[in-house]
Amino acid sequence: MTRTLLIGLDGATFTVLDPLMDGTCAEGVVMPYLASLRARGYSAKLKSTAHPLTPPAWTTVCTGRTPGNHGIYDFVRFEDLGDEMFFTLYDFRDVQVETIWQIASRQGKSVVSLNFPMMAPPPAINGSLVPGFVSWKHLRRNMYPATLFDRIKAFDGFDPKELSWDFERESQIGDVMPDEELYKWVENHLPRDKQWSNMGKRLLQEDKPDLFALMMDGTDKIQHQAWHVLDPRLWTGAADEAAQAVRKLVLQYYRNVDGYIRDLHAAAPDAHLIIVSDHGFAGSEKVVRINQYLADLGHLTWRQSDGSEQARRRDLANFANLDWTKTRAFCPTPSSNGIVIRMKSDKNPGGVRPEDYERYRDRLIEELLDMRDPETGRRVIARVEKREDAFPGTAMGQAPDLTVFLVDHGFVSVRNREPAVVTRPTPLGTHHPDGIFIMVGPGVQARRGETMSIVDTTTIAAHTTGLEIPASFEGRIPADLFEPGWLEANPPRIGAAQASQGHKPSADGAHPEDDVPEDQRQEMLAQLRLLGYIED
Amino acid sequence: MTDAEISSILRKTLAEFVADWGLDVPVEADTSLVEDLEFDSIDVIQFVVAIENAFQSRNLGFQSLLMQDGRYVDDLSVGQIEAFLAKRLTA
Repeated sequence: MTRTLLIGLDGATFTVLDPLMDGTCAEGVVMPYLASLRARGYSAKLKSTAHPLTPPAWTTVCTGRTPGNHGIYDFVRFEDLGDEMFFTLYDFRDVQVETIWQIASRQGKSVVSLNFPMMAPPPAINGSLVPGFVSWKHLRRNMYPATLFDRIKAFDGFDPKELSWDFERESQIGDVMPDEELYKWVENHLPRDKQWSNMGKRLLQEDKPDLFALMMDGTDKIQHQAWHVLDPRLWTGAADEAAQAVRKLVLQYYRNVDGYIRDLHAAAPDAHLIIVSDHGFAGSEKVVRINQYLADLGHLTWRQSDGSEQARRRDLANFANLDWTKTRAFCPTPSSNGIVIRMKSDKNPGGVRPEDYERYRDRLIEELLDMRDPETGRRVIARVEKREDAFPGTAMGQAPDLTVFLVDHGFVSVRNREPAVVTRPTPLGTHHPDGIFIMVGPGVQARRGETMSIVDTTTIAAHTTGLEIPASFEGRIPADLFEPGWLEANPPRIGAAQASQGHKPSADGAHPEDDVPEDQRQEMLAQLRLLGYIED
Repeated sequence: MTDAEISSILRKTLAEFVADWGLDVPVEADTSLVEDLEFDSIDVIQFVVAIENAFQSRNLGFQSLLMQDGRYVDDLSVGQIEAFLAKRLTA
């Protein structure tokens, strides 16, 4: 019998959901089922990971650990080779601690896990796992068990192309789109979560796993691009026909999601239902070209372009394109909001000497905090955190030296364009630390709780699934979540710490690949060039 | 591991890799990844992972296969990958 339904809504925020639940928007109640869950259950804001980004945040939900311990910080990781930079993708092999799927399996429980990122290549579990953020071409071999694809293929309406991650479509996030184009872009997203929901419902009904988890990510994608029709502060209803059409379609998506949640819950009505997001959302008004600012201050040097098409494409890529022999501090990717300080080495003689590190870092923080919008003269960076403050833990060495938090919560730009700060023509949806937590089920109190932490999610799900909660989990069960009588009858049991896995970074955060001979390093760079990540 | 075993594992991995792509291309020694099997850059990354998993090693260093005479190859054949793996796994 299913004990826990964990439903993830990527980027869901009460800012958007409140009017759709309480009917204060012009369209009335759009999400009646979610509204009923909130009314009869426990809800709270859910504080995301230090940097509220999808890969680290969902990996925290999957592991019960903060990024400083699970080791995932971004979509992309990099290795500093001194005179070159090796960019590659994070995957499950980089997750350094067990997931709740594995912990539950080890404790004899069955699991279904669907659409969570960083879960490919998939771990062996007692149940079924389909990772998220995988193209349709690679679905079959990234499912567990290996026979799962053929089973799912027989489900009515299953379409792997509709279900999967479309890299071309998702790469358009952040582009300014006319509303007519945006309508088609949103329209193409609608079938995805329907596919996930249908697959989830079928697996839930047939397998009745102890722990069922499904993440729907259309919320994040649509909010990024259609924020201007969703933010109650921006949407007044006084808009042209194209914007009205986008609004109508977007609300249909939320109506659909409400139905998916209702149907999944109906398949396991006696289970604890936990609905969480990995982060919230807000509107970003400024483009902050952080590497341009660092270049102006002399911390980095752009790679010179030879004017070729290849160089033009590289400049447009979302990876810093720099002269690594003349760069001491840089931001590697726009999603990271991280600043990396490069240390002196034989191949990087211009790097920062160890004895100068603290002084250099402190000066950099002061300079970053003084980055200003030329239109207003105001600061654009609200705060800067050192890695030991933002990401403490055994995997801290791989975190950026500094993480910047913009005043408008936006992501930075790493492109070589001037000026360093400009105002967007339309506010773009961006990640905010405050996500959502809604829970109903046996013993759950009907109340609004204090702000929780995203790590609490995994601890709560472990408990409701009947697991011994690993001592290494960093979350807690809010004191007012359950009725005292229920908690007394079902006391949390603390077990051994979860196992470590994956490769172990060294004390300085380097990966084992850092130990490969120089000729192999060059070959690795060659591969990345071939793949278009690095171009000369 | 013998050359035949390496070839068998690689071809099985590749056959599974492209199983749902709707291609009607037999996997043979002269089958090329880009021209015949329509690989793009993400497919190459995924194929590296698939091979590493199949041979249970994350550090095969087979990136060297992608560079020849200081330049980067435009395409690779199954036979070239088999020869590379045979060299790496029997070294």
